[in-house]
Amino acid sequence: MKLLTRYNRINLFSTVIIFLLASAAFALLLRFLVINQVDEDLRIEQNEITSYIQKYNRLPEVIKVRDQQTEYIPLEKTPDNLHDYFQTSKSYYHHYDEEELLRQLNFNVNVGGIWYHAKVSKSLEGTDNLIQSVVIITVITILLILAATFLINRIVLYRLWQPFYSTLNAISNFKLGKGALNLPETNIDEFALMNKTLKQAITKAEEDYIVLREFTENASHELQTPLAVIRSKLDLLIQDEHLTALQSNAVQDSYDAIQKLSRLNQSLLLLAKIENRQFNETSVIDIKKMVEGKMNQFRELWQGKNITVTTELEEATITMHISLADVLLNNLLSNATKHNSENGLIHIQLKQGMLGISNTGGLQALNEQLLFTRFYKAEAANENHGLGLSIVKQICEVSGCSIEYRFENAQIHLFVLKW
Amino acid sequence: MKLLVIEDEKALAQSICDYLNNENFICEPAYDFNTAIEKISLYDYACIILDITLPGGNGLEILKELKKANKADGVLIISAKNALDDKVSGLKAGADDYLTKPFHLPELGARVAAIIRRKSFGGMNAVQFDELLLDLQDKTVKVNNQVIDLTKKEYELLLYFISNKNKVISKGAIAEHLWGDNMDLADNYDFIYTHIKNLRKKLLQAGSPDYINSIYGMGYKLSLPR
Repeated sequence: MKLLTRYNRINLFSTVIIFLLASAAFALLLRFLVINQVDEDLRIEQNEITSYIQKYNRLPEVIKVRDQQTEYIPLEKTPDNLHDYFQTSKSYYHHYDEEELLRQLNFNVNVGGIWYHAKVSKSLEGTDNLIQSVVIITVITILLILAATFLINRIVLYRLWQPFYSTLNAISNFKLGKGALNLPETNIDEFALMNKTLKQAITKAEEDYIVLREFTENASHELQTPLAVIRSKLDLLIQDEHLTALQSNAVQDSYDAIQKLSRLNQSLLLLAKIENRQFNETSVIDIKKMVEGKMNQFRELWQGKNITVTTELEEATITMHISLADVLLNNLLSNATKHNSENGLIHIQLKQGMLGISNTGGLQALNEQLLFTRFYKAEAANENHGLGLSIVKQICEVSGCSIEYRFENAQIHLFVLKW
Repeated sequence: MKLLVIEDEKALAQSICDYLNNENFICEPAYDFNTAIEKISLYDYACIILDITLPGGNGLEILKELKKANKADGVLIISAKNALDDKVSGLKAGADDYLTKPFHLPELGARVAAIIRRKSFGGMNAVQFDELLLDLQDKTVKVNNQVIDLTKKEYELLLYFISNKNKVISKGAIAEHLWGDNMDLADNYDFIYTHIKNLRKKLLQAGSPDYINSIYGMGYKLSLPR
């Protein structure tokens, strides 16, 4: 849920509640005040009646007026209870000639020894109308205020939060090592602080990233040069015509070890570089052409191992870094070749969005969990460094495709690349 | 002809010079930026082998100096950084080729030979070795004016051998030259044997002497038969 939506919801909800409570309280208070006022009027009337009786010792004449009605009911005996009391009820009201909500003051008067029950009433109907009007006005006011707040929130809040959304936008478009982060200027303290903190964090990350990149490059340089020295010395050593069999065996083993070491180093560097997202320039690659090119490179190897290769290639394109695509294909095909059996099979299937490379090989499925982890080797005494598939996995991760392993028909190892 | 090796790692510079020195080439090392600048301003070289990271300055600066002085020296960059950027900027600045460390000396030899062929007389189109004549344009090989039908790989192999004549080339170096660095072939060089056997057979059938010899099972050498 968006911040503004949520805010608006809370705001609207609480405003409505407050207004409803307030108008209810207002209506009650108003009613209370009005009734008070009416009661006071009734009391005055009572006083007038009693003083009239005291003065003239007879009941005053009942005059029909619009806002008041008076009634005297003679009593047969002295009333038990001489207390006055008010009551509100629907009764007949002479002026309108119908039942109306009345406020009535009941009291007893003694006129020349005869007790009368006097009822002075005033209609509350007008008051009720007043309260109704008040409620209607209140409701309209609520609606107006709600609409206004809603609009103001939408416009003003959106404007107020604009720097926040700009920052959010800038951050989501930001990539480490790809230009500086441009955060909008703002004179709101909180946003300025947020931008400042973000900038500091990102500057730190950027610095670390550069350090890491430099480390990668330096590590590469520092390791490659001694490797180059050793290899060049071996290249020179074998020029000697007087090497004994023992010496040449030692040289051969050293060659192999150097070869492995330099491959390992290159693979580790490649992994680090992919992780650091140093391969960001993608292009649309004709993957069919690339597969065919790679197959040409592997042809002699396959002939050497007597491997039969079958293909089902359809036109397909993939968007990724061209060097990474090359490494990806290379590693998958290398795997299918290296781990194949003598006189084995390789099948390559390509269609838009899917590349499947399957090969015959070991009779047992490989461990799917470990397969793509670094330095995993199916057999302990394996000559390979075990980075090939983790490089594949890593490339897939940065290129937005997926790689999956399946074991079929008890001897077919299938790798499926999907994008 | 003179070659200059600009490389701060003395052992490596020495190896390169030892390998490249022969009756045709005199190879000089330069271990730092200033010596290198001094040498290139004083002499002309057929080919300069240039390391990018040097004490005292960047190798690319030397390249710029060369271009500023309008020198025609061929330049081969050797760098431990195989970062694409380095390669592109090196070639843009006018280098002729780029090789990533660690390389095989025969690979370096072949690259240097190719640069020198391109630079001399505005590009040499043929390479002669004894009775063999390689046409670099058409990628054909003739023995006594008779064309030998070689596959692409066999032709590349022969040119590689001739560029490194009289040198023992390890199987690893051959594999890397023909199939590139990416292919993980460490465990098995058997298929190289097949290629060399076929190449030798074709050359012999065409009436050429047997130039290619196997050396203690670890490599091969092309030389005039004794």
